[in-house]
Amino acid sequence: MKLNIPMMALFAASVPGLLVLSGCKKAAAVNPEVAFGAYDTEPDWNDSTKLVKLGYQESQGKRVFYQYCVWCHADASPAGPSNRSNVTPMPPLMNDGEKLNGESDEYLQNIITLGGSALGRSAMMPPYGKTLSPGEITAVIAFTRAVAQPAYQKPGRPGSQYTGKQ
Amino acid sequence: MPAEGMGKLSDKLRLTFALSTVVCVLVLAISPVKDFRAEWKLYKRSFVKYAQGRPDTKKLLADYSPSIDQVWLPGMNVTDRCTTCHQGITQSSLADASVPQPFRAHPPVPHNVRQWGCTICHRGQGPATEVAEAHETTLAWEQPILPAHFLQASCGSCHQADLKETPQLARGRELLTYLNCQGCHKLNNLDRPTLGPDLSSVGYKVTREWIYKWLKEPRTILDKDGNVTANGYENEDEPRMPKFRLKEEEIRALSAFLSVQKARPFEKYKINPAVVAAWSRRPDLLAQGQVRFRLMMCTTCHSLAVTRAGETKMIGGDIGPELTKVGSKVNKEWLIAWLWNPKSYLEHNNMPRYGWSDEDLYKVSQYVLNKLTDSDLLTNVPQLEAVTDEEVKTGKRLFVDKGCSSCHALHGVAPQKDFGPDLTALGAKNASELEFSKAKIEHNLVSYIQAKLQDPVSVNPAARMPQYNWVQADLDAVTAALLSQTGPAPTSALQHLVVPKKEATFQPVGAFAQVYERYKCYACHRFNGYGGTLAPDLSYEGSRAQKKWIADFLKNPQTIRPTLILRMPQFNMSDKDASIAAEYLSMAVQKADVDPESVDVRQFNPAMMSLGKQLYEVKYQCQSCHTIGGSGGYVGPNLNNAGNWLTPAWIEAWLRNPQALQSDAIEPRRNVTEDEIRVLTAYLMTLKTGIKPQTTASAVRTPIAGQGAGR
Repeated sequence: MKLNIPMMALFAASVPGLLVLSGCKKAAAVNPEVAFGAYDTEPDWNDSTKLVKLGYQESQGKRVFYQYCVWCHADASPAGPSNRSNVTPMPPLMNDGEKLNGESDEYLQNIITLGGSALGRSAMMPPYGKTLSPGEITAVIAFTRAVAQPAYQKPGRPGSQYTGKQ
Repeated sequence: MPAEGMGKLSDKLRLTFALSTVVCVLVLAISPVKDFRAEWKLYKRSFVKYAQGRPDTKKLLADYSPSIDQVWLPGMNVTDRCTTCHQGITQSSLADASVPQPFRAHPPVPHNVRQWGCTICHRGQGPATEVAEAHETTLAWEQPILPAHFLQASCGSCHQADLKETPQLARGRELLTYLNCQGCHKLNNLDRPTLGPDLSSVGYKVTREWIYKWLKEPRTILDKDGNVTANGYENEDEPRMPKFRLKEEEIRALSAFLSVQKARPFEKYKINPAVVAAWSRRPDLLAQGQVRFRLMMCTTCHSLAVTRAGETKMIGGDIGPELTKVGSKVNKEWLIAWLWNPKSYLEHNNMPRYGWSDEDLYKVSQYVLNKLTDSDLLTNVPQLEAVTDEEVKTGKRLFVDKGCSSCHALHGVAPQKDFGPDLTALGAKNASELEFSKAKIEHNLVSYIQAKLQDPVSVNPAARMPQYNWVQADLDAVTAALLSQTGPAPTSALQHLVVPKKEATFQPVGAFAQVYERYKCYACHRFNGYGGTLAPDLSYEGSRAQKKWIADFLKNPQTIRPTLILRMPQFNMSDKDASIAAEYLSMAVQKADVDPESVDVRQFNPAMMSLGKQLYEVKYQCQSCHTIGGSGGYVGPNLNNAGNWLTPAWIEAWLRNPQALQSDAIEPRRNVTEDEIRVLTAYLMTLKTGIKPQTTASAVRTPIAGQGAGR
């Protein structure tokens, strides 16, 4: 908008009638996105005072997580005690970046869809491919990435070195 | 002027002409320059530049055109030019957060941008081509973009039933119903509210002093040490009766008016004097009363402030009123009559009628009257003189004027129609239609709704709306639910987009109807979408559980799920009532395609059973979630007694597809073959290590009694 200001001044001076029109434009006030935060938020598991901002997909993942995964992949569940200690080997916490950041999105998508035994891991991880849609599984992974501690870094995509400048 | 000078231009005039030519050319040039520099063209050009800096340039620019890009859907009244600037909206490679706006891709949502446009969900001015005009309020357009935080409101404009994807909206709608907003306001697509208690005979129940106190501060407030500082019905998170701004003389008049409401005398119940004589001398009377109180699971519906290890917390449910100080509130005779038969005082209520023995009734009522009390409760209440006719008259007028009659029925008082403003189209209102008074808030719809909810007087000094106490998440949820109230679709073309809500009812017939009504099964359980959500959905109970098990369970409820605390009350149900309920549930409350008789257990042989055990333990490792014996997981139900509890037909149907039987089941659907299903069922049907049905007397000694109240 500010690029137009000298233009507008000349414009207004030479054609006074248009002054009214330009007055109609209201200067941008508060960006509502900033005023009201993100789509959704999740309290950080390691620091309850901190909120993790979630986009649409991540917040859908949060919903799926708290329905299906929280029982074994968190230290507490909506019903109280966690089932994590009943499962051997003990499943990773969903925000355990040290364990999960190293796994690719494809691997996580596969193990959720097909279950642990299909990938040579523990059969205690059941397959969710017939219960959740691929989109929901992708969303859960996006949520995992959003809450990961230490923070998840997306692997550099091919050619990303060209995108330094915009 | 000399003659030779005629026809010659003076220098001054030449200069004037020259200047005006320049000005003329400049003015003519403004238009194309301005056009060239139009905001949307800047974005068009910078997208090209951005795409050229990426490896996938060709794909990104495949359908690029330098002109205005729009989604035009005449059938839906959509003309959205948003994609003129938001050019990467459908490019999956631009999904990353590092992509600068406005080029980032839209996250995958159930509705495609090309089919639905943008403004249906995001609002804003679709045909605009400037950032400010498209996103914000202008003089000519007062529907700015909806903040992302409240986006679920848009889903609610068409989806009248709740979606699993929109928890915020569902919570907001739940609160609008729970807080009885519909008592005063007209709102669309909400469940019918359960209004406040009928006050027609409240004069028999409580004293004028208590009413005075309640009107002064109708909520329980916990101070920083956790002490309950005022009596009330709700804990501090969820006030159902909000605080009204009443003056001293108004409280006096209302308390006078209510204390003389004795429209229908309640039926008194007289406890056998022999029982009273025997028990009143016993030192363990109150302790026994407390044990019984806990065993009856009163805290499933009622909450109590309980102090443990120096910490006071509200414990219990919110279906019924809070009981921390109820002993200082209610009349003794009323309490006994109410516990004996709630219907004797209120025709319609949610309190089940327990099967009481005189001893239990005496013990529990003594416990409530002597332990759930607060001697300081009424100390701040001034001396209230005898009720005058004047006060009663004023009180009656205030009862209607203040909106009490909108939520509370009272014999002989008709509620005022359309007491509060109609809110069915609030979400589509322009800011200029709202009254902001002197409130120092932004003049937009969202700020208005939030300010009004938090402090109704701030935007309207004459507001009659009472004061609610919100936590931020609930405030936002209610805001979203109100924003979704956008009235009827603006054009009939949009009407077909509305996804209506199914009205659920469950009307049992025959003898079971009376049992169902007496024990208020629907207060906690859900039947075909109707009823409470506290306890398991019983829509298919007849397909799931064996008849004998249902009858035994009703006589003596046990918890099946290890992580859940038993909340099903011991109703002291008679054998007849239990068998009527079991009979009806197992015959009539079934899933059509799961016939409990369809699988015959006699076909199972020991070989199948041992194979099933192997599948359970090794191949599918069901023990990660289910407990058999002493070990296993907490997620699913305990299967120790599966053979007595479940029908084989249900187990088979469940193994085929759990979500078909219970849509929110945690157990995933798996690739289990029919043969495997058969042998797993055979194995599960052998598990019969359940608890023997106990008589009522021995049930008192179940471990639950020794534990704390409620959860």
